[in-house]
Amino acid sequence: MKVKSLWLFLCVFVFALFIPFQHVNAASDGNLQKVKDKGTLVVGTSADYPPYEFTVKEGGETKYVGLDMDIAKKFAADLGVKLVIKNMNFDSLLVALETHKVDMVISGMNPTLERQESVDFSKIYYRGKQFMLINKKDTARFKSIKSFKNQTIGAQTGSLQYTLVKQQMKNNEIKGLAKLNDLVIALQSGKVNAVAMEEATAKAFAKNNTGLKVINPQFKVDSSQTGSAIAFPKGDTSMVAAANSTINNIKKQNLINKEYIPNAGKYMAGNTNKNSMLNYWTYFAKGIEYTLLITVVSVFFGFVLGVFFALMRLSHNKFLHWLAVAYIEFVRGTPLMVQVMFVYFGIGTLIQSLPALIAGIIAVSLNSTAYVAEVIRSGIESIPTGQTEAARSLGLSQKLTYRYVIIPQALKNIWPALGNEFITLIKESSIVSIIGVTDLIYQMQLVQSATYKGVVPIFIAMVIYFIMTFSLSKVLGYFEGRMKHA
Amino acid sequence: MLNLIEVRNLKKAFGTNIVLKDINETVEKGQVICVVGPSGSGKSTFLRCLNVLEEPTEGQVLFDGKDLIHLNEEELNGLRQRMGMVFQSFNLFPNMSVLDNVKLAPLRVKKVGEEKATEDAKKLLKQVGLEDKAEQYPESLSGGQMQRVAIARALAMDPEVMLFDEPTSALDPEMVGEVLKVMRDLADSGMTMVVVTHEMGFAKEVADQIWFMDDGYIQEKGKPQDFFTAPKTERARAFLSKMLQ
Repeated sequence: MKVKSLWLFLCVFVFALFIPFQHVNAASDGNLQKVKDKGTLVVGTSADYPPYEFTVKEGGETKYVGLDMDIAKKFAADLGVKLVIKNMNFDSLLVALETHKVDMVISGMNPTLERQESVDFSKIYYRGKQFMLINKKDTARFKSIKSFKNQTIGAQTGSLQYTLVKQQMKNNEIKGLAKLNDLVIALQSGKVNAVAMEEATAKAFAKNNTGLKVINPQFKVDSSQTGSAIAFPKGDTSMVAAANSTINNIKKQNLINKEYIPNAGKYMAGNTNKNSMLNYWTYFAKGIEYTLLITVVSVFFGFVLGVFFALMRLSHNKFLHWLAVAYIEFVRGTPLMVQVMFVYFGIGTLIQSLPALIAGIIAVSLNSTAYVAEVIRSGIESIPTGQTEAARSLGLSQKLTYRYVIIPQALKNIWPALGNEFITLIKESSIVSIIGVTDLIYQMQLVQSATYKGVVPIFIAMVIYFIMTFSLSKVLGYFEGRMKHA
Repeated sequence: MLNLIEVRNLKKAFGTNIVLKDINETVEKGQVICVVGPSGSGKSTFLRCLNVLEEPTEGQVLFDGKDLIHLNEEELNGLRQRMGMVFQSFNLFPNMSVLDNVKLAPLRVKKVGEEKATEDAKKLLKQVGLEDKAEQYPESLSGGQMQRVAIARALAMDPEVMLFDEPTSALDPEMVGEVLKVMRDLADSGMTMVVVTHEMGFAKEVADQIWFMDDGYIQEKGKPQDFFTAPKTERARAFLSKMLQ
């Protein structure tokens, strides 16, 4: 009987997981009208791929530029709506599209057969060659695919280049990373011997790093899959048609070669001229602001809910007790990264307008709740029963006993553990950058993209994290001293 | 005389360990009862059953005619306010000053108001000789002082009966006297008291009745002079000869 009900529970649980996705698949056409009605075109991109898409700083503001951004701008203008850019990891783009976080994806994306199974593509708007970025000192060694025998090759995970390397360089080890910047750092530090990327992007990196060089390793490419196209949700034919008509116009006027690429080149040159870190302090400042915002709000909800769950777990009511135990064990037994993605992409399918920041805060708060609940429970259980008996013998109800006698003492006992949890939260909140929340890590990646410098922004972010956690631990220490009697 | 507490067929077991076997007794208003007996005889458990800190396994505890065992949470809290309890290990609240320890229940349960609670608390602290310690925290007091604060805290609810669970057992010998003096004064003022104690001198002098407990039963009870000079049972004789050695 027990086994049976467990299976039933599992089935219902798994079924519940799939409901939102079925719902999405069922969502069909009429999106063109929807986009026009809401007046915004939400575009997903991974802005670390010059000259397609990258960031520049203009008047203290981050601006997304590149030929893809120009195309998106033109498309939005043709539709008569406002353009909204959502910057995220390349890996997350298609999920964002399937879960309707974005209306379309333009990110130098190749319409591979695998991708065509899950999304629809516009016609190809630009076709670049597949190149390889290497260290200059290796110029003599590496000429073509064959000369890379037994070397490690880097490529962006989920990209066409990754597939090409995998298929055509079978004797090589592939190192896949989400961000091109990280791949370039890996190249410069010798972790990989070459990075496969698009012609234009490779040239941009080489231009900004004197130690790097571009070669054409002669990948065999199927022309139907190598160009870049715009991705739309499956079955979104009205939007695809509208995009194709914009692309036709762009091609007729040769806008990409005449305007968009030179435009991108100008921004890239501009970036290179002022890539000192001081110019980007506003990036880091914004990152600190969001990291602190997420931490403070999550600490608050984590604490309030944590008290609640701790009391539930200590409750004599069997149902509440097991509910709390199940929640705590489940949350502690799954990675925060998965929880963040689940809240944003999973719950986000039910509430379409759920912003990444809110999703991040919810996930981090719910995660913290489980840990705080356990800390508080241990604190409550550490109070001698004599305290409860004394309070109850005076006629205090259970509620009053907790409020005036147990909780204040428990709080003092668990203060160091609680402080530790808060400090952990500052660091762990960095995970939300994967869904595009502009926290410190995310901003660091932007600075990497904008300056073509890999290590310095990481070092700065590291120092900032340390300053934040160290100050917090000092503040907590001060309050611990003041709570001597509490 | 009015029966304040009445115990009928009281039984208490912890798992298979039967601690109280069958107890039937009455405490009259104004009486001072001292419960004595060897360690492990069930004295403390008996006392804790009187205000239902331990739930009896069987039987009834009537306080002012009401059976405490089958009351709901709220009624029980109401009756507990009328019974003060003092513990062996004091159980003062370390997160509050001495004054706040005494004020807590009047302020939060009776809701008498800040000013009156403070005034009353100060009077009680004066009564136990600790008015100068009001602002200190329990950790800075001696054991005897802590126990006097605990008595003041229990008295703050103006109880009709005071239960003492070995109030001097955890004290250094030189501090026992100050606590017993406060208890003696309390007895003289007419307070109904049930005291579990090993202080035979105190029991002899202050108690109206001695209850001798052993093996889960009240084996013998009587006036102090009778009990201490001519105990009726063999068990009591053996106990007294050990205690008075």
